Amino acid sequence: MEANQEQVQDRVKRGRIHEGPRNHIIAFGISIFLTLLAFMAVANSALDATFIKIFIVILAVFQAVIQLAFWMHMKDRGHFFQILFLATGAFVAITAFIMAVYWVWW
Amino acid sequence: MAHSVKKYRGLMDWITTVDHKKIGILYFAAGGLFFVIGGIEALLIRLQLMFPKGTFDILDGQTYNEVMTMHGTTMIFLAAMPLVFGLMNAVVPLQIGARDVAFPFLNSLGFWTFFFGGVLLNISWFTGTVPDIGWTAYAPLSGQEFSGTGSDYYAIGLQIAGIGTLVGGINFLVTIINMRAPGMSFMRMPLFTWTSFITSGIILFAFPALAVGLIYISFDRLFDANFFVTATGGNAILWEHIFWIFGHPEVYILVLPAFGAISEILPTFARKRLFGYSSMVFATALIGFLSFMVWAHHMFTVGMGDIANALFGVATMLIAIPTGIKVFNWLFTIWGGKIQFTTAMLYATSFIPTFVMGGVTGVMLAIPPADFQFHDSYFVVAHFHYVIVGGIVLSLLAAAYYWWPKMFGRMLNETLGKWSFWLFFIGFHLTFFIQHFLGLWGMPRRVFTYLPNQGWDTANFVSSIGAFFMAAGVIVILINAIISIKGPKAPADPWDGRTLEWSIASPSPEYNFKQLPLVRGLDAFWLEKMDGKKEMTPAEPLGPIHMPSPSILPFFMSLGLFIAGFGFMYRGYEFESAFMNNLFGYNIIAIFGLAITLVCMFLRSVYDDHGYHIEVEELQKEG
Repeated sequence: MEANQEQVQDRVKRGRIHEGPRNHIIAFGISIFLTLLAFMAVANSALDATFIKIFIVILAVFQAVIQLAFWMHMKDRGHFFQILFLATGAFVAITAFIMAVYWVWW
Repeated sequence: MAHSVKKYRGLMDWITTVDHKKIGILYFAAGGLFFVIGGIEALLIRLQLMFPKGTFDILDGQTYNEVMTMHGTTMIFLAAMPLVFGLMNAVVPLQIGARDVAFPFLNSLGFWTFFFGGVLLNISWFTGTVPDIGWTAYAPLSGQEFSGTGSDYYAIGLQIAGIGTLVGGINFLVTIINMRAPGMSFMRMPLFTWTSFITSGIILFAFPALAVGLIYISFDRLFDANFFVTATGGNAILWEHIFWIFGHPEVYILVLPAFGAISEILPTFARKRLFGYSSMVFATALIGFLSFMVWAHHMFTVGMGDIANALFGVATMLIAIPTGIKVFNWLFTIWGGKIQFTTAMLYATSFIPTFVMGGVTGVMLAIPPADFQFHDSYFVVAHFHYVIVGGIVLSLLAAAYYWWPKMFGRMLNETLGKWSFWLFFIGFHLTFFIQHFLGLWGMPRRVFTYLPNQGWDTANFVSSIGAFFMAAGVIVILINAIISIKGPKAPADPWDGRTLEWSIASPSPEYNFKQLPLVRGLDAFWLEKMDGKKEMTPAEPLGPIHMPSPSILPFFMSLGLFIAGFGFMYRGYEFESAFMNNLFGYNIIAIFGLAITLVCMFLRSVYDDHGYHIEVEELQKEG
């Protein structure tokens, strides 16, 4: 157990110093901006419905990436396994979805 | 003092334990019990089918359906799963040089939820409403309209048992990622640990599908939902998809640790290192991925269309490639080795051809046009018994004989072991080989009887005789296990093993490793032995060891779910007394059960338990 504590301290020394609120404030700003864009696109009656659908799905993907990278700390070091398992889970789910929709019900 | 922890003895010790070795033994005991129950059900099936209709009918159609359903459900969920988990618990932490799993409390919770789920399922025998819908519980047969309370036992029992499996899988993922000894990189992990890792990953992604499916079916049955009720816009085929999205990976959840055990036993007794270690790892990961892409091959005759059938057929055949890599690696491992045929090695070598036979019929079934012929015939029964009994059970028995000394500190009798092997092995092939032909001669599966003189009489008789041989083999194994209590004490390294678990005493002390070992390569202990050393080089100075405290909470958490399960199952049931009707009708029992679980969770969250330390003086005293 003491070895563990040493490891933790070692990691702290190697520069995992708390980075302060700057990144979080930027990420928060981007999130709000993306949400606003989505609302504005839906509210704007001049836009084509198909375009709006595609547009807000793209915004949603960006939103998800920002949530994962900043708020869920995926951009920090030492998150290899979290990313691996998220990616595998997404792979399994998307594969099952595509197979069910395009193979089975095609 | 940090020593104020309460030590329990006897039964309380087993109920409160969070030690992975004891939980492994609990899994073995419970899994063994359910294996025997499932085996008795199998014998009843074979006795019923031994003679055609009219000569020796011991079961009627309804009872046969119940026995058949419970045989399948018990063997998969309550025998094979816990035996695999028992093995993982007993072996994985030792193989990676860890002192316990990452979450000892969760480990205990996983066992008790599995156990209470299994008990709930089997209580159906005493209440008189047994699941009779097959282990796949296809809708609409399993819905409100066509089946009784028995199906509730299936849905609720498996739901509770499934929690245990999911919890266990996550626990092993975290353990293997975080708790490997210094120097043990991923590519130095023994193959059993690797396969346990991939299996835990498959559990993580497959069991939620089962949980969701079971919730749907429970809601359909208990709360009048309509997920699978066609009349109100539901879709019965949806259940088949959900069940097999879970059900097919489940097959690999079971068979991968079995592969891993074989990959440990063959190198030990052939006295060669495993051939193609990295390709074995690659093949395991590939099987894990592919297992999620083939579920619809169970549904070729549903009417999905040519394209879906062809694509799923091809995807299924792809699995033969990584599996073939494994088979050839095993063959090259024993090729030219100095082979000792111990009981474990007999089981392990007989596994290879037997499993290949199951795999070949698997590829045959993966061809959709051929599957239309094989479907619902005894050919399918023969195929999956070759894979599950010939693949999983043979290797679990091999693993049991191999790791028994480490788990229990006693040697099993080799003479009895060889008797058990030959009885079981001959019995197995006698029972199931002929069933391929029964299927090709047109005998459908899931029938409780058949008329004489259709050319099936002799083959069924032969198959039943084989079942008795298998039963005799299992009885010899049980006798062997019981007499091993008084058997010779096991040395630390009885087989001249290669991996870390053999570098510590048998049975291992509660803290496993006095000092964590330094791992210098694959087959860590073998490397040290080849350098003329007797034990591992320690990676840390001798220091106090932190241990988790035992806890009764997991037992009561699971008991709460068990009680709540009954509350939900019987909430719409018409009892004779008004008191019982009120008790269940107003959900009092269900709320009471859930309250027990929630109070336990609350206690666990509020009271910090920092465990205790085993001090250096004590470690030195024990030598």
